[in-house]
Amino acid sequence: MILNATFLSAFLGVLLVLLLPRRFEMLSRWLALLASIAGFVFACKAFAGYDQKSAQHFQYVTQIPWIKALGIQFFTQADGISLVLLVLTGIIAIAGVLFSWNVTQRPRAFFAFFLTIIAGVYGVFQSFDLFLLFVFYEIVIVPKYFLIAAWGSTNREYGAMKLTIYSVAGSALVLLVTAATYAVSGAHSFDLMVLADHAHIVFPASFQVWAFPAMFLGFAVLAGIWPFHTWAPTGHVAAPTAVSMLLAGVVMKLGSYSALRVAMTLFPQGLEQWRNVIAVLATIGILYGALVALAQRDLKFVVGYSSVNHMGFVLLGLVTLNTIGLSGAVLQMFSHGIIGGLLFAVVGRMIYDRTHTRDIATLGSMHLSKALPFAAFTFTVASVASMGLPGFSGFIAELTILSGSWKPFPLLLIPTGLGVVVTVAFTLRALQGSFFAAKADGPPDPAGHHEPFDPITLPEKLGACLLMATTLGVGLYPKILLDPIMRSFDSPLMHQLIREVASK
Amino acid sequence: MKSLDLDLLGYLHLLKVLAPEAILVVTALVVLGFGLSSSAERMRPLLTRLTLLGCLAAGAFLLIYPENAFLQNGMVVLDPIGRIFKLAILGLSFITVILSAASPVRRHFAEYLALILFSTVGMMLLAGTEDLLMIFIALELTSISLYVLTAYHKRSAASAEAGLKYFLIGGVSAAFLLFGLSFVYGVAGTMSLRELAVIAPHLANDPLMLAGIVLTLVGFGFKVAAVPFHLWAPDVYEGAPTPTAALVASGSKVAGFFILAKLLAIGFGSSVGMADWSQFRPGWLPILAIMAALSIVLGNLAALVQSNVKRLLAYSAIAHSGYMLLGLTSANVPGFTAVLFYVLVYAVTTVGAFGVVSIVERRRGGSQLQDFDGLYKTSPGLSLSLLVFLTSLAGIPPFAGFFGKFYMFSETLAASAPGTNPGMLWLVILAIALNAVSLYYYLVVLKHVFVAKPAHEIRLKAVACAPVIGALALAVLLLGIFPNVLLEPISNAVTAYTKEIAKPMQAR
Amino acid sequence: MTDYPLLVIFLAIAIVFPLIPLALAWAWAFFFSPAKPGKDKGAIYECGIESTGAAHIQFQSHYYLYALVFLIFDVETVFLLPFAAAFLKLPLAAFFALMIFLLLLVEGLVWAWAKGILQWK
Repeated sequence: MILNATFLSAFLGVLLVLLLPRRFEMLSRWLALLASIAGFVFACKAFAGYDQKSAQHFQYVTQIPWIKALGIQFFTQADGISLVLLVLTGIIAIAGVLFSWNVTQRPRAFFAFFLTIIAGVYGVFQSFDLFLLFVFYEIVIVPKYFLIAAWGSTNREYGAMKLTIYSVAGSALVLLVTAATYAVSGAHSFDLMVLADHAHIVFPASFQVWAFPAMFLGFAVLAGIWPFHTWAPTGHVAAPTAVSMLLAGVVMKLGSYSALRVAMTLFPQGLEQWRNVIAVLATIGILYGALVALAQRDLKFVVGYSSVNHMGFVLLGLVTLNTIGLSGAVLQMFSHGIIGGLLFAVVGRMIYDRTHTRDIATLGSMHLSKALPFAAFTFTVASVASMGLPGFSGFIAELTILSGSWKPFPLLLIPTGLGVVVTVAFTLRALQGSFFAAKADGPPDPAGHHEPFDPITLPEKLGACLLMATTLGVGLYPKILLDPIMRSFDSPLMHQLIREVASK
Repeated sequence: MKSLDLDLLGYLHLLKVLAPEAILVVTALVVLGFGLSSSAERMRPLLTRLTLLGCLAAGAFLLIYPENAFLQNGMVVLDPIGRIFKLAILGLSFITVILSAASPVRRHFAEYLALILFSTVGMMLLAGTEDLLMIFIALELTSISLYVLTAYHKRSAASAEAGLKYFLIGGVSAAFLLFGLSFVYGVAGTMSLRELAVIAPHLANDPLMLAGIVLTLVGFGFKVAAVPFHLWAPDVYEGAPTPTAALVASGSKVAGFFILAKLLAIGFGSSVGMADWSQFRPGWLPILAIMAALSIVLGNLAALVQSNVKRLLAYSAIAHSGYMLLGLTSANVPGFTAVLFYVLVYAVTTVGAFGVVSIVERRRGGSQLQDFDGLYKTSPGLSLSLLVFLTSLAGIPPFAGFFGKFYMFSETLAASAPGTNPGMLWLVILAIALNAVSLYYYLVVLKHVFVAKPAHEIRLKAVACAPVIGALALAVLLLGIFPNVLLEPISNAVTAYTKEIAKPMQAR
Repeated sequence: MTDYPLLVIFLAIAIVFPLIPLALAWAWAFFFSPAKPGKDKGAIYECGIESTGAAHIQFQSHYYLYALVFLIFDVETVFLLPFAAAFLKLPLAAFFALMIFLLLLVEGLVWAWAKGILQWK
């Protein structure tokens, strides 16, 4: 029940926000903050209460028959992976609300859509019934469109539509394979544990050979797999700050988590056949994302492409199919969620809302290191974490992924390593170019914002500190997350990924 | 043929079974009577209330009268599933009458209401018959009333054009339908669907029977606006007064699909055929599969370029007919249950969407996309309802439309030989792909509602039908989260019904 | 099955037979009486009198309404005829049933009367 409280509190928040009369519309931020904190508290309680030594890998089970005609159940439970990602959602939710404190245009609608996305994300991470997972997965799609189209910036209507259509196309693939799986399995059920029990249900190889790539691709589109990643930079740039944080922070993780939890466990033979292709695509994504980010003039585009780059690591880790690589992938999901959120927060809220430009050269001439010292500090921390410096969560995650990839894909480590180097390059370029431009007395910027900027507000500081503390904390003490994650791969459901495929 | 003579008690029993329809007819006549008085304008509220009262009385009777009936060799039947659908049709007419109170129909308002009631009687008769001739009569009653209702705006050329197109195309397809039914009667020698089910296995591949089936499907294809019999739909939805369009979109679809399902399951149950990839067998299933494919493709693609919301809803209705025909290609009881569930959900959603459109049309003067700009500001409740309706139509959770579509697709896939044989996968892939495309044009409408700035500030007056629309939106949401509320009664009723029938369609 | 060739030949003859005179007439007209329209040749024939006024007059749509009402009651009569023929063999209830049918149609007539459809306008 405590798991369900996470998304129930978010839905309750939506209801309360919508019922607010117009005069009290600024109260909606407080309601949203309360709902986010409540969800985070529930997620943390569940995480803390998770018994790692128990033989039951999946705890907090809620299983109620829902629609008997199709054998659908309301089935939620959590293991280490789910709990880690639930905590991530809680943190991003709070940070997102804090960084949206200055939304004055139609705040009730904004926070209602925001909380709906949060609820959907919470739901996906705990659902173990395919239908239920899909329902939560899709709930996230429509609010994204409105948030970007109505509150966004550059090219927002186009960006919103592109993002939504890509998401829906991915979901369509997933829907197809879900319905087909139900039809082929013959089991009158959508229970993931039942369907993935390959002792009792065997999907024919001819079915798996197309079902697996379709489902994996459908989920991976949302995770930004190359070459279906183009929605991500456009959409992230067009989105308002909190939405970019959500998108990069948790929504992209929906795709990779579902790919791991559903696509890979249901179709092991399909996975075996398509594994190398996915690894290559992931590596291309890493390198491509980094190279393109290097060439960007718009700071938000740099961050957008860095998301593609980091998610490439996740996807690579997923197909290594050993405990180390898989755990690294999940940890990278968490880590990038925090870091990506932080990067977008700085670029969107701290910089763009004040300077009204994201062009690196223009920003460089504004002496932001002196005008916004807190922003400079935060962006430095975020960049350093993004580069994978030891001490921050990104380092552990990328290290484990690379260690895990050594055995199955030794050749791919070369371009991946190259990608890491380019990541350092583009991150430093962005950091230096926007905050620490060399010429202290450069030409005056055309935007003409020489008046002192608004100081960084308290909500922004709180949000930034929350995110920085998390990434630093996990970087210094990764065991707190890695242990539950690695333990999860001992459960029969997840362990078959490792045993069945690695022993060829 | 059994003797159909009845004595007084028999007629009284018939009257009791047909009492809802009789109540509606009496209401219509009373409304006409009141409408003849000279102060017809001031009587509008009274007339509307009378009509609503009549609908409620008919519905109450349906709920109270417990027994099932099978009269006149299947001409008049009352069974649980028929009861559910009669109630649904009554509900849809109820909402249509509420919408018409706000519509700009000025002259001959009493006749307008009476025609709605007559059309409803036709639809209810459709839901309560198992006889070929009665199907035709009821279908004609419904259609003719709808033709007149479509052309009701005397000052509008679009309305006249719509009525004329509807009538001409409808007349031709009624001829096809009758021709087909006559072939079936000629070959089988009986009008009753149950007797047909017994005889039909011997006639499964008789060429005349197949010809009859094809012609009958042509007639029904028109009724449900499937390609290539859809040409009337865009003009009718756009030109007709919006309450009429709402009734056409919801009521006639519900009745049409219900009787089509009955006909296919019972009457033509032996000539099913197959439409699997690379495995075609003649029967009604391949025809439905092709009609479904064409409807889905054309409906969704044509809707992408529309600028008038009513026309967009028309093309979306064509696409939805395609999905429902796809559901019918499952050719088994769970699949048909799914279609029956979905058609009811779809009707509720559509009538709500048309309700919002009619309010906007009334206040902004048109139903182009631009007329919806800034609706969120003037009426946030209506905008939220429209969001619910359109996302449900697009098949997005957690609304009822998503579950309905998912159920239909799953059952269709499960019915065709799963696993190694692709089966109906080709059709389901097409449907899911174009369903994803359809989100685009629904979002375009919602973009105008939520994102675009209003051209000028108009404060919409509170309209009487707004709470009804809100209630419909809530129903769509609740049905999405708890579909069992509707699904279980339908499922139980269908199961009870199939136990009675001699030979339901043969499963693959 | 063996009759089909015969049927095709029959169909062919049936199509060709009426077309031959038409074709001949057209050929004659083409070769021997070319069209040379003139004012007097093209004038409307009205028994030798010069025609005055336009040929288009507005058709009274009220005829249509009368025809419609007539049609309804004509079909009602068609239904009444077999009832009348079998009247003595039918039970009492059938009489009431048909009276209801008649009543509905009479109500339609009353409505048409009250709406002024039966007044010539």
